[in-house]
Parts: sequence; structure tokens; C-alpha cells
Amino acid sequence: MKPVNFGIDLGTTNSLIAKYEASKVTVFKNPVGQKETLASVVAYRPDRVLVGDKAREYLVKDPVNVFGSFKRKMGTDEKYYVVNIDDNVTPVQLSSLVLKELKNFIHTGETPEACVITIPASFDTMQSNATLKAGQEAGFKDIFLLQEPIAASLAFFNETAGEENKDGYWLVYDFGGGTFDAALVQSTDQELKVVDHEGNNFLGGVDFDFAIIDMIVVPEIIRQTGITDFEQEFRVKYGKYEKLFYEVMYYAEEAKKELSATGSAYIEFSTELDGKKYDFSIPVTKEKAGEIFLPIINETIKLLNNVLRNNGLTPKDIRQVILVGGSTFLPQVKEQLAEQTGISLNSSVDPTTAIAVGAAWYAANKQYEPSIEETAAEHTEQAIETANDILSNVDFSPPDLKVEVSYNKSSRDKEEVLLIFCEGTYEDKYYRLVRSDGGFDSGFVQLKAKKTEFLPLIPSVTNHFTLAIFDKNYDELKSLAKEIHISQGKYAIDGQPLPHDISIEVDDVENKTTRLEAIFERNSLLPQKRTLYREISKTIKKGSKDSIIISILEGDKNSRPLSNLTIGCIEIAGKDLKTDLVKGSDIEIQLHITDSRVLNTTVFLVMTQQEFKNVFSISEKKINLERLKEQYTSLEHELTNTVKEFQYNQREIWEIKANALLEELHTVKERLFRLKKNDKSDEKYIIAEKIMRLSQEADKLGGNERISLMIEDYYYRKDQVKETINTADFEKEELKRQFIKIEQSEASFIRSKNVSFIQTKLEQLYDLHWKALGNTTSFLITKFVEFRDLGPEYYRDYNGAKSLIKLGNAALEKENYPEFRRHVYSLSGLLHRADFQMNSDFKGTGIG
Amino acid sequence: MLNPAHIINQLFEMQSRINEAGMTANFERNFKRLYSLFEEEGYIIQDLTGEAYTESRTDCEAGISGKIGSRMTITRTLKPVIYQKKDGAVQLLQKAVVIAENK
Repeated sequence: MKPVNFGIDLGTTNSLIAKYEASKVTVFKNPVGQKETLASVVAYRPDRVLVGDKAREYLVKDPVNVFGSFKRKMGTDEKYYVVNIDDNVTPVQLSSLVLKELKNFIHTGETPEACVITIPASFDTMQSNATLKAGQEAGFKDIFLLQEPIAASLAFFNETAGEENKDGYWLVYDFGGGTFDAALVQSTDQELKVVDHEGNNFLGGVDFDFAIIDMIVVPEIIRQTGITDFEQEFRVKYGKYEKLFYEVMYYAEEAKKELSATGSAYIEFSTELDGKKYDFSIPVTKEKAGEIFLPIINETIKLLNNVLRNNGLTPKDIRQVILVGGSTFLPQVKEQLAEQTGISLNSSVDPTTAIAVGAAWYAANKQYEPSIEETAAEHTEQAIETANDILSNVDFSPPDLKVEVSYNKSSRDKEEVLLIFCEGTYEDKYYRLVRSDGGFDSGFVQLKAKKTEFLPLIPSVTNHFTLAIFDKNYDELKSLAKEIHISQGKYAIDGQPLPHDISIEVDDVENKTTRLEAIFERNSLLPQKRTLYREISKTIKKGSKDSIIISILEGDKNSRPLSNLTIGCIEIAGKDLKTDLVKGSDIEIQLHITDSRVLNTTVFLVMTQQEFKNVFSISEKKINLERLKEQYTSLEHELTNTVKEFQYNQREIWEIKANALLEELHTVKERLFRLKKNDKSDEKYIIAEKIMRLSQEADKLGGNERISLMIEDYYYRKDQVKETINTADFEKEELKRQFIKIEQSEASFIRSKNVSFIQTKLEQLYDLHWKALGNTTSFLITKFVEFRDLGPEYYRDYNGAKSLIKLGNAALEKENYPEFRRHVYSLSGLLHRADFQMNSDFKGTGIG
Repeated sequence: MLNPAHIINQLFEMQSRINEAGMTANFERNFKRLYSLFEEEGYIIQDLTGEAYTESRTDCEAGISGKIGSRMTITRTLKPVIYQKKDGAVQLLQKAVVIAENK
């Protein structure tokens, strides 16, 4: 026997599926659109079957082929005639399609054989049996039914902590999108039962939207336009204001959400009515909303009171009202309920998912006998031989059907054609194509010998699709599934891809260095165009010798700029400026690389409103001598540190290699620093080439072993930093934010396998560690004691230091730690710094 | 934590209203820049106006105005579609809200 674990809320308007596992319930999300809810609507369109939200869009316009709210007809002999398929479908068949669609939400790869399905408290035996049948048709072998109010109560009882005795009467107030139910639930010795219930199948959240439209929006439109027949025409199907009706429906729903969040809202839109343009700005105040929502809320409270009265109970006999359904988010609903009934409300469970969650809790305690296939599949890994014996009795041979697809793996268009070819018995089978991001779903389409689908593509990414094949009962034939990958804007045969990343060099002012920022990534298809928006990182005076350098490089975007080849360089000096260029002002850099790899660069300085244009051919090298000198110093510093690091870690061979590189670098030092700006020889190109080669070799020092050690070091430091942040007393949130930022880039820098990139991240972690310590009171006290005992020779201004020590002592005595921290910071600022000030006159590129 | 989709929606609405007021040219550069900031953060934002509407488009929720036909077009986008690029994969973050008509 095995626990069932899966619970389904098969709702009138929306349905959900959840699973219990390891004392926790997870509600699955629709892979198409990532919503937890699935609209309980089925559409038989001319050539395909749609289930869910997309089907709901056609409900009003195509009522002879689209069906919703069929739950109300379960257990009746009513059939729906579908014009498009010229056949009848039953509520059971429609429900089974919804259940099958919910099974697609399960991303764990499981195919459950058993589940719990919830039913309204009002369902009779026929309706219950119809639900069981729908479950069986959806492929469930064992089905357990559970009344919705009990499911909601279970969710509440199990999800709320505490050993408190919950015996007594509870009211479940279930106010969904289109229906309302009130149920009296009795709990005795951990046993739950529905004592009584009342409901209205035509009362729900959508009524609030219509109240906003009918009582606020429409009167305001009439007042401003004077169109007397507007109200009559507004809701007419195919009427002249129909488009506006759909817009206003959206605005009303948004206003309702805003009311829940902020208490009041505005509905603002512009439209043309009878040839005249109008701008509307309609307030929806809390008071007005309360007034127009009241009749709807009163209707629910009336039903609630009926339940109490019919059972001879008063509000005092009720422990709490458990709120379920999306409409209970509205503050007006909660206010009126509390005010009119006087019963305490409980909204501790998510009203949208409560029933599915409760069903999963119930499923955790229900057992079923798994079938041979499921048992075999489960034990395959542990006992392949045993499983094979069992499986030999089961027919797993692929169906008599062969499906082939043909398509272009790359495209520059917005959509790509997919051809599907079938051989064998395809007549009673369907296919379905889904794009993995959730933006495209073909629905169930009948297979033909040859079929064409147009696949829409998201630009500049690889679009992944899955083609699944289904039998006549919409059960998937998994062995026939195919993956389809189409790259938009990449690898096309009619254009050449870029062999290397093309990046721009920008300043990393904090670390007094520069870094690369990718503009066009490797394998992007030429031509490419992009505009970068950055800030100027230093002030440049009009007429000064200072300049901004726009340096475009080719190579690995994750490596240091020096390891890349400079393919374009624009220098904008003070003499070129109309006015001063202030630090922080905006710069726009537009880059365009043609099919023939000619790079066009246009720079626009927003502050001075000046534009600079330049065209480079990639065969023509551009080198800025000052930048080259700076890069030399940076590499020299890094290599010196690397030698020290290898010495410390006793990596002798690596140390010898690093030393050799450093020595080779030193051979160009004199030549480089002797060069004048106007030097016409090839010298600077020769030196630049050598520095680039040495930089690339420095990246390879220690190979994969060094990278592994660095990654190991990264994880060690990461844990250390996390711990320090947890004990920090100030700016904890900001520290956490910075930590998360580093953590989020983890996958990319580890994957890059680039030493300098990983090194940068290690240094960021190191800095963050110090920052966290500087925000920890105990550490600050230790430092303060240390500073306090230092003599005058350690301070730039000893008198100032003495005053700060006095203030620090006083703050410490008063336990005023924020003030104490300020004094410690100021005190540390007065210390002489012996640190090596590398690049203290760092100029960089001037682009931040 | 700010929800980027909420900011994008406000930005999109502002742009639509500025377009309606015929002042697009004055703010074109600013909008281009604001959208590019979101793109740099991995968000792909699309205005679906003018594109064909089909029942396979699960990137939008449509209000269908007029009769259903075989050549449906999106005539108005009230909320844009937003995708998010994360760890090399693309995920639909927000469906567009549109009006579709038979043209």
C-alpha cells in the first residue's frame, strides 16, 4: 500500500492540484504561464481543443463550442452539443479533460494513479459518482472524494501551528470568482463533519467588478459625454462600445486589486466615443467601494446566517470563520463579516489554494494499492532484474505510429514553420506543442499525414518547444514526444556568427581597475546593434587634458580587459567639450557591427548634447598609450600577488611559472614608460601584444586545479560571510542584499572557469566580510579598544583622535551603539594608512 | 522588494498615454533608455499591438471585441508581455492583457 498524496480542487471556475510530501504541501503551477490555477473551461475550436485560461477567452463569443461551469451539471443527463465536432460531450468528459490538464502541472515526472478530488458539500450521490467517473476517465485508478469545506478546514487545522483543542463549530466562508458557499463544520476529537451548508452558484468576485463598472464608471461616462443610451449599448454583444467594455473590465479588476492593497484607486483611460475624444480619471474611494459592494456582501452574510439559524446556533457558538476563495482578499468583505456577525475571522491559509492544500493533507493519510506498472517503474533503479521480469508481461511497445518533424534550427523571423509528418494510425490521435517559457500552447490538435504549425519565437534566444502525442482519450503516448529547439537571431546560415565576445571596458572605481561588459556575445549573428547607457565616472573640465576613453575589445568577456584585443577606441578629451562634463552625467554609446565586421560607434553626451562618431575596421588596431601603462601596472600588481599566493600555498611549480611571467613583463616596462604619446613607431603595438599574451597566460596559471581551489575557497568564504552577516547589528538588510547579488552571479562565474573573474568575486566576498564586521558591535568594540591604546605616531591628528576616543567611551557607556559606531569609523579615518596604494592616481576610462 | 512587473506596467501605461497625447517624440529617448535598463536585468518586454492573434497565444489574455474570425489582430495592449531570462532559460513572467479584433 502507498499513500495517495495528490489532492485536486476541481472547481466551478478554477481548478488546482497539490501534493503532500515530507510534512509539506506543494501546489503545482501550470507550465504554461506559471499560474497555480487552471480555468475550468474547455473550448472545441475549429481545429483544436483548448483547456484552461485560453479557452475562457472564447466563452462569451463562441458559446456553442466553449464550455465552463459544467461542474454545476455533473450527475445530470445533460449533454452539450459541440458544433465544431458535430458531437455531444458530457460534463464528465469535460471534467476529465480538466483533470488531465492538471496532471500536466506535475513537474516531478510522476504520473499519479490515485488522488483525492474535492466536491461541494451539496453534491448528491449522482454528482459524486459523476466526479468519480471523471477521475477514472482522466486515468486515476483510485479516487477518494472529499467535501470542500472539510478540505478548507483541514488546510487551516494542519497549516496552523499549535496543539490547541479545535473541537467545536466552525464556519467555512468560501467566496470564489463565480460562486459562494457557506458551510458549518463540526470538529469533535479530531473528526470533521459538515453539519449544514448554503450556497449561491451565481455570486462571486466578478460581481464586484460589475458593481464598479455599473455604479461608478458608466454613470461618470454618461455625465461627461451626455450619451444617454450609453448604458443600454455598453454591454451589448457586438455593440459599438464593446471594445471599450473589455478595456473597462480590465481597469475595474485592477481597481479592485488596488482597493485590496491601498484602500482607494483611480480608473484612468482615454477613448473615442461617437467621434469625440475623452480622457477619464475616475476615483474609486474606499467609502464608495464599501457602499456599492455592500449588497453583494450582504447576500453572502444572509446565507451564512441561514446556516446558523437552521441549526439553532448563534455567533457565540462559532469558534471562527475560515476564509476561503479569492474574493475574501477584499477588505470590505472582511470588515462587513466581522462587523455583522461578530465572529472572529481566520485568514491564515491562502484563500486561493486552501481547498487543494486540504485535499493533499487528506491524501497523505489515504492508502491505495499501486499497479504493476507503477511498482515496476519505481523499483527499476533498485532492482532492474526483478522489474524486467514483471515488465516482460506488460506491453510497452510503441504504438503503430511514426511521427517526424522538419524545421529550421535557426531563424531570423518572428515565427518558424514546423512540418509534422505521420505514418501509421494517426487518425484518432492528437498532438500538442508547448513552448517551454509558457508563451505558446497549440492545444490538442488532430494529427494528419502532414500538418503545418507556425511557431512564434522570442527574439535573440533559443526557443524550446515540446511536441507531445496523445491518444483519443487525450492520454499522452510518451515514447513519441519530441524536443524542438530553434535559435532566433543566432547561428543562421545566411549570416556569420561572431567568433568572440565583443565588450566595452568600463571603470570599477571601487577596486581602482577596469572590467569588461559584454556588448555582443559570442555566436550572435551579424549584423548587431545595441545602445549602452552609462554614467561618466569622473568630472572632465572643458579644455583640460583629461579624457574619456571608449575602448571596444574582442575576446572572452569574463577575462580581464588586458587579455582581450582592442578593436576600437574613441578618446574624447576636455578640449573637445562645449562645457564641463560632470561625474554622474549620462553617456549613450550606440554600437553597430556590420556583416563585414565594421564597427560603427556613436557616442552622445547628454549633458553637453554632443555627438561623436567613429567607424573602425576590425583589422585596424587602436591603442591608447596611457591606458596601456595603467594596464601594465595592474597586471604587474596582480602577478606579484599571484606569486605571493602561490608561495603561501606552497605551490612551487606554479610559483616558478608566475615568476617567469612577471620577469617577462618587466622586460617591456622601461620601453613602455619611455614611449611618448606621439610616437609613430610600431613599438606600442608590439608591447600591447606582449602584455595581452602574458595576461592570457596569467589566466591559465595553475589550470583547472587552481580554479577548483578558488571555487573551494569561494564556498568556504561564502559560509563565513553569511555567518558574519547573521551576527551583524547594523545594515543587515543591505548586507544581505549584497550577499544575494554575489550569490546570484555564482553560476555564471563558476561556469566561466576564468581565474580573474573568480578572483574578482572572491575579493567582493572578502570586502563584504569586512563590511559585515564593521557593522557588528562586538567587533567594533574590539577595534575601538585597539585604537584607544595606540600612540600619537599612529594618528594624523592625535588631538582629534583623543576627542573621538572620549566621545566613543561615552557612547559605549550609554550603550548608544549607532553613535559609538560613528565614532569608531571617524577614529579609523584618522589613522595613518600603510597599505599599498595601488593606482592611487587611477584614471580609467571615465565610463562607469 | 519592488516587483519589476508593476514598474514595467506603469511605465508602459505612461508611454501609451503619452502616445495618445501625441507627445511621443519628446520622451522617446527616455523610454528607450528605461526599457533598456530592464533588458539589462534580463527582462524581455513586448507590446503585442499589431500582431496576429491566435488561440495558441498563451502569452496574452485577450478580450475579443466583435466577431471571432480567422484573421484576428491585437488592436490594443493594456499590459505588455514580460519574459525573464534566468540561468540561460526564458520564463513567462507576465501575460499581456490585450484586445483582439477581426480585421
